[in-house]
Amino acid sequence: MDKLKQYFKISLRNLKRKRLRSWLTMIGIFISIATIFVLISLSLGLDTSIKEQFKKLGSDKFFIDPRGQLAGPGTGGAVTFTEKDIRTIEKVSGVKDLSYFVMGSAKIEKDDQVRYANVVGIPLDRTNLWAETGFIDAEFGKILKKGDSGKIDIGSQYYHNDVFEDSVMVGDKIVIQGKSFKVKSNLKTLGNPTDDKVIYMSVKDFRETFPDKGEDIDQITVQVNEGADINRIAEKVKKKLDDVRDVDEDSRDYRISTPEELLATIGNILNIIAGFLLGVAGISLLVGGIGITNTMYTSVLERRKEIGILKSVGAKNSDVLAIFTIEAGLLGLVGGIIGVIIGIIFSKGLEFIAVNMLAASILQVSMPLYLIVGVLLFSFLVGCFSGLWPSWQAVKVSPVDALRYE
Amino acid sequence: MKPRLIVLASKNIRNRGVRSWLTMIGIFIGIAAVVALISMGQGLQAAVTGQFAALDPDKLIVTNVDTLFGPPGSTAVKKLNEHDKELIESVNGVDIVVQRLIRTASFEYNDKTDFKFVANIPQEKEAIQVVYDALNLELEKGRLLDENDRRKVILGHDYMSDDFGKPLRVGKKVIIQREEFEVIGFLKKASTFTLNGIIIMPDEDLRDILDIGDEFDILVVQVKDMDKLSDVKDILEKKIRRDRDLDEGEDDFSIQTPQQGIQTINTILDTINLVIAGIAAISLLVGGIGITNTMYTSVVERIREIGIMKSVGARNSDILTLFLAESALLGLVGGIIGVIIGLALAYAAASGISAAFGGLDFSISLNVPFLIFAALFSVFVGMISGVFPALQASKLNPVDALRS
Repeated sequence: MDKLKQYFKISLRNLKRKRLRSWLTMIGIFISIATIFVLISLSLGLDTSIKEQFKKLGSDKFFIDPRGQLAGPGTGGAVTFTEKDIRTIEKVSGVKDLSYFVMGSAKIEKDDQVRYANVVGIPLDRTNLWAETGFIDAEFGKILKKGDSGKIDIGSQYYHNDVFEDSVMVGDKIVIQGKSFKVKSNLKTLGNPTDDKVIYMSVKDFRETFPDKGEDIDQITVQVNEGADINRIAEKVKKKLDDVRDVDEDSRDYRISTPEELLATIGNILNIIAGFLLGVAGISLLVGGIGITNTMYTSVLERRKEIGILKSVGAKNSDVLAIFTIEAGLLGLVGGIIGVIIGIIFSKGLEFIAVNMLAASILQVSMPLYLIVGVLLFSFLVGCFSGLWPSWQAVKVSPVDALRYE
Repeated sequence: MKPRLIVLASKNIRNRGVRSWLTMIGIFIGIAAVVALISMGQGLQAAVTGQFAALDPDKLIVTNVDTLFGPPGSTAVKKLNEHDKELIESVNGVDIVVQRLIRTASFEYNDKTDFKFVANIPQEKEAIQVVYDALNLELEKGRLLDENDRRKVILGHDYMSDDFGKPLRVGKKVIIQREEFEVIGFLKKASTFTLNGIIIMPDEDLRDILDIGDEFDILVVQVKDMDKLSDVKDILEKKIRRDRDLDEGEDDFSIQTPQQGIQTINTILDTINLVIAGIAAISLLVGGIGITNTMYTSVVERIREIGIMKSVGARNSDILTLFLAESALLGLVGGIIGVIIGLALAYAAASGISAAFGGLDFSISLNVPFLIFAALFSVFVGMISGVFPALQASKLNPVDALRS
């Protein structure tokens, strides 16, 4: 242990001797470490906030979507669900509750300003499930309840981000597809600008406002009894639904997905993107590492005589190797420390912009201790690794030649 | 003077052997990363915009405003209808208006069902020709639909594979949305996913099986005189506005030339490319700092040499130029190697991606000006990185330098 401390001391002193060169080498490392740190903290943060949203949703619910949609739910396709499907699913034992929604695109007007937005119709006698998830939760006013008509809940963008020139508040009126609706509540922010711009109304109002959509149902959400096996119940629902829709394995026209499956899919996509960006950022670390190799190699050439003396007074090859490798590792480590500090500042700045200026609170950064420690350790190892070859050159210096030289 | 300077500079670089190589590796990795990613970005952009079936420049596309991302017209607030079509046809300068529908439907063959995109073929002879020309449809087998066909379909190239367990051939019957259709042709392999997986059927049949009333997703307007395209566009906008009683700026429809239609996608792709190239450029920055470091070390090592040069008559500017030439050379060689490696990587990646996703026409085009720019940029990076050490070298006092 004492010896290791000695190695670090000697290495540090050597680095200080060539101050400017050490700094230039470290700049390369800290620029790339900072980039990598920002990317990882962003993707960890995004992952956490998506998981949180799914947690809110609860692991006791699954979704039934029609197949053959042009894009997402509500974009129209060959398949829709009917009231009969709803009644069928409801009767399956183990199903605690269910709800559904219809979605349409609407022209909305207020004070002579025209905008376009997505309108979602929800059955007001089946809102328990939504209330539980917290997705439809009022910031001001009260959310729609059974029996409400001509009233809407509006997403937080209408209040916070000026969809119209003035903020829309409880009690205001918005004209949707030519019909006037009264705002009953402003919803809490979900953190995703698309969802936060949605307008909710009762299915009954929706049917009257969008006669083209007929009796369509775009997505069904099913909640299972507490403690029940969600996959088993999903299987049961699938069987019943197959019967009533007259389809089988090969011709099934809907899809059942559980939160786990959805989460896995989203997680996969995010991991691929993050992996790619990290790979690109990693290139700069490679270049920075080569910079360390170069500096250390130069250093070995310059210090041949010193190495010779060290060896002639009894330093073993392993000592020389350790001193040079640790020197290189220290270049990496100090570069890493500065890089992490810059990275933290940058990440926090990005988060501030995303949350306060873009109202996208889903874009949070997360920088757990293990990330910071891991990055530091990694940069130390990158330094050591880059220094291996030059250190080996130092080991090979023969004391006799080195001392005779000059 | 100049050539001799370059000879001297390259000799100095060679003298430092391994160290020069290490410095150049840094630069060429950076340049290779930037070149590979930008070339791939350009290739990807071409491939993606190619997915939006190339339309001729003498056509306008009318859609109603969409609120979500999806195929044009799929999330429109209000569908276009016969009234709109007649209105557009009545405008001077409009040749033909073609109604387009793109929907999804269930497709069944050999007791297996899948959901596919279905597009309509209009039922007037001239309009059919417009669609065939515009989409550049070519047959692999069978024949195209004509105005008298009913309950017949043409299928994209994908259907010729055995996805349904039993090969599909011309003359076979398939079930679309629970109705029987006869396959009369297959399209050649196209460069877009949508076309390869598409079902094309007569307009009337499509409306019938999906119960579509008087509505269109897109109206394609062929103008008589291509030079008057923007005039016709203006007139159309005014007419539709008046018809719908809208003020300017309240438009719930859009009229675009095919180029405009893909502009949004292009903007998104440009941004993505920029971010990725930006991250890659960081490695170039790090490489540049490597050059600074090498040159700085070189100045320190050659203090005596600089002193001697000065004492035999070299001016400050000579020393400055010599050191700048050295760092520029490091940048140049690094840049050339980088461009070559970057291109090779891009080609390899593109062929890999094309093989993985059949139907995506992803190829790298040789953008010579860009490659030359990249190499020159590398020289520039080298020189900028060398400025500070070179200045330091040129300002050395010969007496001090010789004494050290």
